[in-house]
Amino acid sequence: MTTTEQATLADRLAAVWADFDARLEQVPVLHRLAQGTVTLDDYKRLLFNLRQQVVDGSPWISRAASNFDIAHFELRTAAISHAQEEHRDYLMIERDYVAVGGTLEELRAGRKNIGSEALSGYMFTYADRPNPVGLLGAMFIIEGLGAQRAAGWARRFQEVLGLADSQVRFMIYHQEADAEHTGNLEAILSSGLIDEEAADEIVRCAEVVARLYVLQLEELDR
Amino acid sequence: MVITMSSQATAYLTGFGRYLPGPPVDNDGIAPRLGGDDRVTDRIRRRVLEENGIRTRHYALDEHGEPTELNEELAVKALRTALDDRGIDAEDLRMLACATTMGDALVPGFGSMVHGRLGGGPMQVLTAQGVCASSLAALDAAAAKIRLGDHPRAAVVGSELPSRSLRQSRFDGASARMDAHFLRWMLSDGAGAVVLEFQPHPTKPSLRLDWVQHVSLAHDHPVVMRSGMEGLDPVVGRTWQDVDIATAAAEGMFVLRQDISVLDALAEAGIRQFEHLVDTGMIDMRRLDHVVCHYSTNRFRDLAFDGIRRRIPTLDTDRWYSNLETRGNTGTASIFIALEEAWHDGRFAPGETVLLAVPESARFSFAFAHLTVVAPPSMQATPTEGS
Repeated sequence: MTTTEQATLADRLAAVWADFDARLEQVPVLHRLAQGTVTLDDYKRLLFNLRQQVVDGSPWISRAASNFDIAHFELRTAAISHAQEEHRDYLMIERDYVAVGGTLEELRAGRKNIGSEALSGYMFTYADRPNPVGLLGAMFIIEGLGAQRAAGWARRFQEVLGLADSQVRFMIYHQEADAEHTGNLEAILSSGLIDEEAADEIVRCAEVVARLYVLQLEELDR
Repeated sequence: MVITMSSQATAYLTGFGRYLPGPPVDNDGIAPRLGGDDRVTDRIRRRVLEENGIRTRHYALDEHGEPTELNEELAVKALRTALDDRGIDAEDLRMLACATTMGDALVPGFGSMVHGRLGGGPMQVLTAQGVCASSLAALDAAAAKIRLGDHPRAAVVGSELPSRSLRQSRFDGASARMDAHFLRWMLSDGAGAVVLEFQPHPTKPSLRLDWVQHVSLAHDHPVVMRSGMEGLDPVVGRTWQDVDIATAAAEGMFVLRQDISVLDALAEAGIRQFEHLVDTGMIDMRRLDHVVCHYSTNRFRDLAFDGIRRRIPTLDTDRWYSNLETRGNTGTASIFIALEEAWHDGRFAPGETVLLAVPESARFSFAFAHLTVVAPPSMQATPTEGS
């Protein structure tokens, strides 16, 4: 593995991110958020929809962990601890949802939207593969979103809707938690564990997850 | 773009309700209910009524003086009208703050009893036990939880049912001078409630709660209003809980009394608190549009006017609101009953400010709340306003 190849993976992921970021701006709810026309109902719908997919976060990472063989011990270790950290994340969404006037009953009776179905289905299928190294690309997108966008969204929701910190805990928390995760991810990506074939898988997985994540945000309640 | 880091939500009053039991009772209807129709008592009553200026009030007593309702029932009925006014149910509440001077029972707390009767789901309950100013203490506590984002919706109720203990049986054989007559012919029953939320009412105007200030000067003042103790000083072994109930009753411990000699000092202290709020910029006199004030008798209104005129010679007394004369003095309920009537009468317009003022004589407490009328979000010019 040469430094040129590592830079190439980073460049390729940066290109995926740029495309993802541009698509996010076009998502109706995020557009309204930027414009300052977002409503409390928009925020509740967003939490409601995210929750239905976030409950699957820890399970797909765990499944991936169980499919890393001993030759991929480092990735198995990373996946196990990451799954543990994500395990109770959905409870934070539930608290935020209740804090803005929703009920646990309606939230827990909800189902995944079209985009969440596709995203979750893809993640579990991918995690079933032997040594699903490509999932590092999924993490790059999802954790990057948390680290680079979630807290800004939280502040903007607070600004427009007059929300207290305790009503946007999930999004604020993810800035710190996911920044730590992306740090770990960058260490793995530059650790020499990633060969050219794995790099292709990672980029492809990042492209698919980026598209499906946007779909999840576009298809709120559908 | 400069992003303002706002860590707190805002509390809005979005629903207003009240409940006054039975028909309005005029001054001639008091004696049939509370008794005290001997010649001496009759003369004292007329004198007290003349001074307090109350013309009609409500009692949860029938025409023979028999109780018709519990205090917790008054509270729940006021809460239901406030919830209906907002268009929500008890199930939508996450907190209930109840203010009263005396609940129906000694235990459990009044708030628990009101929640039990109101229903709804699990919620935080607070009982603010005190006298008149406990109304705004309850409002302040609920508003603080709304601002923290801990609860999206809360209800606050002030509720009083003093009439049953103002009946003749409490006074038979007990020494009762002016200190007892003053309150006996002044207090009456009722409940007032508001709904608090972290968002304004979606389609109707709301009152944004800007701040609540509540100060006790008990460190510097003896007891003024009392029940359950012998004199003005609490003494070990000499409260109603220490002596036989029969002894306590014979000594008149269950009579609600007020030391009326210090009431002018109370008015002065209240005006000083008000001036302090003006001096520190909490109240901008150029932008204060309405004052809703609780006071026990019209004489205090006149003292307050005189005091405020020292600051604003052009005081427009039409901006001063009270419904003491028609709804009576209902203690902790008064300020919410007055606010409800002023609100639904359409006295307030968007953009205007309202000061609630509640002096409490019991041991010198003063509570103020500052509100601003806000239009519903759909009618506001800029969507980011209020952030």
